Amino acid sequence: MTIEAINEQLLRAIGVGVALLDRKTLQFGFCNDTFDEWFGGENQPTQLQQLFPELDVQAMSENLIGTGRHTSEIRFKKKRRTLVIALDFTVAEGDMLVLVCQNITRIKELESMIDSYSMMVERNTREIKREKEQVEKLLLNIMPRSVYEEYKTFGVVTPQMYDPVSVLMLDFVGFTDMVASQDPSVTVTELNDIYSAFDRIGEQFGCERIKTIGDAYITVAGLPDPTPDHSKAIANTAIRFVRYLMRRNLSHPHQWRCRIGISTGSVVGSVVGIQKYVYDIFGPAVNLASRLQEFSEPMQITVQDAVAHTIKDQFDIENVGARSIRGFGEQDIWRLSDND
Amino acid sequence: MAERTLYESYGGFSQVSKIVLSFYDSLLDNDEIGPFFDDVDMSRIVDHQTKFIASLLGGPAAYTDKQLQQLHAHLDITDAHFDELETLLRETLLGHGMASDDVETVVAEFGKRRPLIVR
Repeated sequence: MTIEAINEQLLRAIGVGVALLDRKTLQFGFCNDTFDEWFGGENQPTQLQQLFPELDVQAMSENLIGTGRHTSEIRFKKKRRTLVIALDFTVAEGDMLVLVCQNITRIKELESMIDSYSMMVERNTREIKREKEQVEKLLLNIMPRSVYEEYKTFGVVTPQMYDPVSVLMLDFVGFTDMVASQDPSVTVTELNDIYSAFDRIGEQFGCERIKTIGDAYITVAGLPDPTPDHSKAIANTAIRFVRYLMRRNLSHPHQWRCRIGISTGSVVGSVVGIQKYVYDIFGPAVNLASRLQEFSEPMQITVQDAVAHTIKDQFDIENVGARSIRGFGEQDIWRLSDND
Repeated sequence: MAERTLYESYGGFSQVSKIVLSFYDSLLDNDEIGPFFDDVDMSRIVDHQTKFIASLLGGPAAYTDKQLQQLHAHLDITDAHFDELETLLRETLLGHGMASDDVETVVAEFGKRRPLIVR
């Protein structure tokens, strides 16, 4: 066998489609077996444009003049499978064109699969991110951000002493009767509106709502970051709570009336519980605020003696005398009014 | 810690991608089921098979029953077609070295969808 014959055998047998064309007429002169297998068949066109009608011959001839090469891609169906073939034309001696065809179907299929997969993964990542944000939002509702950061980093929260802070305790008058006599879902919806308004008011003055227990609402100033004028902040908040309820009552059939107690002192804040954890505060100031609240008539604010002395220059506040407070002995109590 | 899915225990996407491609091949070569894909764009078939295998193995795809129903509503799929696909699926998974009880788990999962797909 001559070298030429071996070369021809090789050229015929390789897994790459090879064809030779006349550069002027674009007529096929030679096609190897692989080429015939892909594009052959009965009545195989002998001219390039007839075989690949979608080929941009104009662009091809420009590229061939410019660089001597042109590449393109064609897709066609063999049985029901889409084959994708990369075409590579090179100018050769004697006004010949060499066309090399590579089967890149698998690459295209893999590309599609990677597209599909990455879209699924990206969608899942977005969902996880959204869920994480929701969890974070939920946790931030039950604990201050600094405590949440600590919890996220270490998985635990060390109880922390905050001193001094001011505590506001609010309770609604006749709430139990209200729930019993009216549609409970309406009552709870209204309670939710009111608490949301309280949260917004407190936020304006730098108060941190700690919790609500039924109709009791507890908020604190001076926590988690120390605030020098925590008493002033809590007094302002208390006045606006009452003001908000009075205005709301004017336009609503259900009358909401509250009692408020304000005290100052130290508290310990921590996350309590493991599965159903809540952030809570403990300390005499919390209990005292609760007791003082009981001395208020509806829509009144009762203030601890120590708080009163700090804020009396800036607020309309009046001493109502000494009272015996359970667990705290006898103390002067004060009444805070809205001077607006 | 959640239980590992078959998708994870058989090597994640890098392995599952091979299953998907050979499933794709045998699907198109099959003259019972292949015709359903005659006029479907290649990238769509690949996308569909990727999600199909991933969702059966517990990977990052999930079709709701309603989606499956809608996607197949315009097709005349008979029980025989469904059986054939089940055979192809089983062969493909076994061909990729999946343990036979895992294969049966997947096939059973696939079988649950029959009422949504078959006319």
